[in-house]
Amino acid sequence: MKKFYRIISLLLVMGILLAGCGGAGTVTDEPAYTSSAEVIGELSGMSSEVIDPDLTCTITLGNWPADTAPESERALFDGYKATMEKQYPNVTLVPDYFSYTLSNYVPMAKGGTAPSIFQPPFTDPQLLISQGLVGDVTDALEAVGVLDKFSPAYYEMLADENGRIYGLPRDGYVLGLHINAALFREAGLVDEEGLPLYPTTLQELAEYGQIIREKTGKAGLVFPASETYGGWLFTNIAWNFGCVGENALEYQDETGRWVCNFTSDECIAAMNYIRDLRWTYDILNVDATTTDWAGSHSLLGTGEAAMNFAADDSVDQPTANKGLPVGDFALVPFPAGPEGRYALAGGTCYMFSPDITGDQATALMAYLKILGKLPFLDDDIIAGMRADYAAKKDRGAPVLPAISAWNDEDYNAAKQAIIEQYCNVDMRLYDDFFGSISEGTITLRAEEPVFAQQLYRELTSVIQRLITRENADVLKALTEAQESFQEYLDDEINNA
Amino acid sequence: MKKLPRTGVIRDYDMHSVSVKIGYAFIYILCAVMVIFALFPLVWVVLAGFKDLKEFMSSTSILPNSFSLSLFLKTWDQLGIARNYLNSLISVAGSVVCALVFNGLLGYGLAILKPKGYGFVKKLVMLSLLMPTTISIVPLFMNIQRLGMGNSFLPLWLSYGANAMYVVLFVQFFESLPGSMIEASRIDGCTPLQTFFRIVMPLSRPICAVVTIFAINASWSDFLLPYLVLRGGSMQTVMVRLFVFSTEQTVNADAMMRSVVFSMIPPIILFVLFQKQLTENSVSSGIKG
Amino acid sequence: MNSRKKAITLSGKRTEAVKAWLIMLPGLILMTFFVWEPLLESIRMSLYKTENVELVEFVGLDNFISVVTKSNFTQALLNTFGYTFWSLVIGFLLPIFLAMLIGETVRGKGFFRTAAYLPNMLPGLAVIILWSAFFSGGQNGVLNILLSKLGIPAQSYLTRAEWVKPIIIFIATWKGAGATALIYMASMASVNAELYDAAVIDGAGVLARVRHVLLPSIKKLTGTMLILQIISVFQIMYEPMVLTKGGPDNASLSIMQLMWQYAFGGTMNYGKASAVAVIVTLILLVLTAIYSYFDRKESDWA
Repeated sequence: MKKFYRIISLLLVMGILLAGCGGAGTVTDEPAYTSSAEVIGELSGMSSEVIDPDLTCTITLGNWPADTAPESERALFDGYKATMEKQYPNVTLVPDYFSYTLSNYVPMAKGGTAPSIFQPPFTDPQLLISQGLVGDVTDALEAVGVLDKFSPAYYEMLADENGRIYGLPRDGYVLGLHINAALFREAGLVDEEGLPLYPTTLQELAEYGQIIREKTGKAGLVFPASETYGGWLFTNIAWNFGCVGENALEYQDETGRWVCNFTSDECIAAMNYIRDLRWTYDILNVDATTTDWAGSHSLLGTGEAAMNFAADDSVDQPTANKGLPVGDFALVPFPAGPEGRYALAGGTCYMFSPDITGDQATALMAYLKILGKLPFLDDDIIAGMRADYAAKKDRGAPVLPAISAWNDEDYNAAKQAIIEQYCNVDMRLYDDFFGSISEGTITLRAEEPVFAQQLYRELTSVIQRLITRENADVLKALTEAQESFQEYLDDEINNA
Repeated sequence: MKKLPRTGVIRDYDMHSVSVKIGYAFIYILCAVMVIFALFPLVWVVLAGFKDLKEFMSSTSILPNSFSLSLFLKTWDQLGIARNYLNSLISVAGSVVCALVFNGLLGYGLAILKPKGYGFVKKLVMLSLLMPTTISIVPLFMNIQRLGMGNSFLPLWLSYGANAMYVVLFVQFFESLPGSMIEASRIDGCTPLQTFFRIVMPLSRPICAVVTIFAINASWSDFLLPYLVLRGGSMQTVMVRLFVFSTEQTVNADAMMRSVVFSMIPPIILFVLFQKQLTENSVSSGIKG
Repeated sequence: MNSRKKAITLSGKRTEAVKAWLIMLPGLILMTFFVWEPLLESIRMSLYKTENVELVEFVGLDNFISVVTKSNFTQALLNTFGYTFWSLVIGFLLPIFLAMLIGETVRGKGFFRTAAYLPNMLPGLAVIILWSAFFSGGQNGVLNILLSKLGIPAQSYLTRAEWVKPIIIFIATWKGAGATALIYMASMASVNAELYDAAVIDGAGVLARVRHVLLPSIKKLTGTMLILQIISVFQIMYEPMVLTKGGPDNASLSIMQLMWQYAFGGTMNYGKASAVAVIVTLILLVLTAIYSYFDRKESDWA
């Protein structure tokens, strides 16, 4: 049972397995050629004083950008490396780009070839910890003095039952709605200030989508219903239709058995909503069942669709990567449903090779400090943040406030102040999104607790059937999916 | 102009009939349709490569707005395709060597040396011919991991040394070699290995050429095992990159089309150079390349 | 001198066999490592509960039961038979037809052969990605662009459960039909032209000659190609993986793709993946047995 409590603890903050969504190893394809000189100029402000000449070890950096990453990003990491080498002259840094997936990491960890540091999504840490495939950094964290500043949610998730820590939060995200403001303007959906009049409820989304479809001929909404993606987005819609608490899509009954429930009235209503988006309002993009993550951003970014359910950490996709001018882009809260207003939250973290020594752990914390991933306010960190935001601004991606993973007010306030200096967007296009989170008008909720990917796969199949067959039976499709997923749960946990 | 011989069902004397003439014209029309059908997608993908993302996603025209090569150069540069080409070349070169040496030696044993018990091995090889290699890719991948050969070209090279089809091609060819020459070299005191390299291989140039071309093309196009072996690191080949692009969604649709073009250039060059061997030998071997 | 050599040869009979096996050894080791052992290992793994690359516990047929009772298995198996059906409809007769057409041409024959073979040289993955743009349902889809010239409104293709299998087979046929046609051509070309002349004397027209002389000449080859084609259709995996990811609603999920999903689709269940692999292997073995049975029978007649 203990295992399941730990899995539930994943609920607090989770990421998604969908490649790229977590931001890990995101190889951006269309970077504007940047003047890396500016970035390096930023970094030169970093302290180059020697901090510890005695620390001697080698660390391999699996979080290094791929050689195909934008030049500015690579320059940034070269700068981090140079700083680290000045501060710790006897620590050898070996860049080792590693595109993490669970299946390619495990054999490396067992074979002793895992990089010292890598970036898994929040769905994996507990699995890796329980199998002894990641290294303990508790002592090193304590030495740096950040143990107590962890968000409790992350603390729960990145530790084992003895309270030993194996990872650090890297990035968090919250699902919202990406808006192509140009299409909204074209369809006349603007308020008196000229800002897009965006949908605040799912019902409005359908209606606005229809207006956009009629006025511009473009799709109102991208619904990437391929593989597991459609089911993932659907869970958020289902929550807003009331699939939480006793109507949750999956839950553990009093005997400890995992049960899935796709046939509640709420879930049926949510699925009927998707069905209506296709057959009543007809606002979906044409090839929804083959549209993937990149495809959905392409459609929004090139003006083929007006709205896309996506998170704050992928705002550079439609803009810098797919060419939508920053001024034509807006990020708004996930629309509310009849029964609730939830937004899915998740992220990625840093974890470490199971073989790291105490010295390596110390060196890795120093490295993360230079990257600005620890809640410190010294000049190095500020320089690093500036470099990061300058690079973002440089390639035409919105510079936005980050959702912090640290319970440290000073740190968070300082970060905000720097972001404002680099701000390249009209914050009115984002205020409601961030406001809904800070003011709590939207409830953050993590992914479904167990075997989420399989759950998404089953639900995606249902969505695919409903949006490709006009007379498909919603209840029948959901019942079949429920049976199939229940079999899976029985197989994998209930009877394991 | 030299009159070409007529080899089909229709004979010269049939051409006096009007209906046969019309039918014959129709055959040519159908052949022309086939050619268009075979080539149009290739022409199109090159044209599509000239479009940027916006144009690719929105344009309803086959022809691009401009024919500037800058987008091709940009994609080549940004995605670091040159490096993938180099990786592919290394992978292909090793695969060809392994394909010739190991399959050749095995074929030599089965066709010429024929030690006691060779029949069983020959049967096993024939049986493997019909078993797709993908079917055991999971245990194979596990074996490679266990031996610590992940992220290396070695398992990919060696996998071409274990190709039942190439073994069969060698066996068929070696069996047709004149036994007297091999016998002569044996009497001259050559060891079996010397005989293989000095006599058998030089006599087997045609089949070596066929296996070489097949192996080049197969190892260039291969991506499933290479993906599993090379995916995490910097040794990815062109096709592995293309597979990563298509599954991990890290590349825009327009750049994807240009990557497709890049991935097709070497096979097309190979084809242009060796079309005669290819179109004739795929026939003689009875197996598609 | 001569007699000495002979003596060595005689006494060296065994040494020679050893040498021969030594020469074959590297190839045998590789065949074992890459082909034979993994096949056997599949069987072993399919009987174990696996955790990553380790076999944890012998579970008998549990993996098979778990895999077979899932609805996606039935679906994938049916789909694979569906692929086979479509490949017979779309891809089986076309190469024979193409071979007949090209075989009749005189001028330009080499060019037609070359053009027919070219798609077969292209990397399969690149071909699938290329064609995915043709079947894109948007205004930008190549097929839609072409159809719009004929005044036909834009269609969506890959979202239709009943179209995805024929589309995937169509793409595979585009790639492979030309090369197969050349094999048939070679067989047809081996017909002695005098047979046609003899048929003419018997009063046979062009079509009668096709029916009574040409087609019988490729009868045996046709049987072989049929089995080879069915076996190759059973390997369909990356095509739906890239084109439709198995959708919509699992309509294009192939049996090999299901195996890949178990192994590399996130759950890393190598035991269950192997169970699927073993089932496919058994099906292929049956097909191979049928093939060799007919092959032998044909040979007996010949």
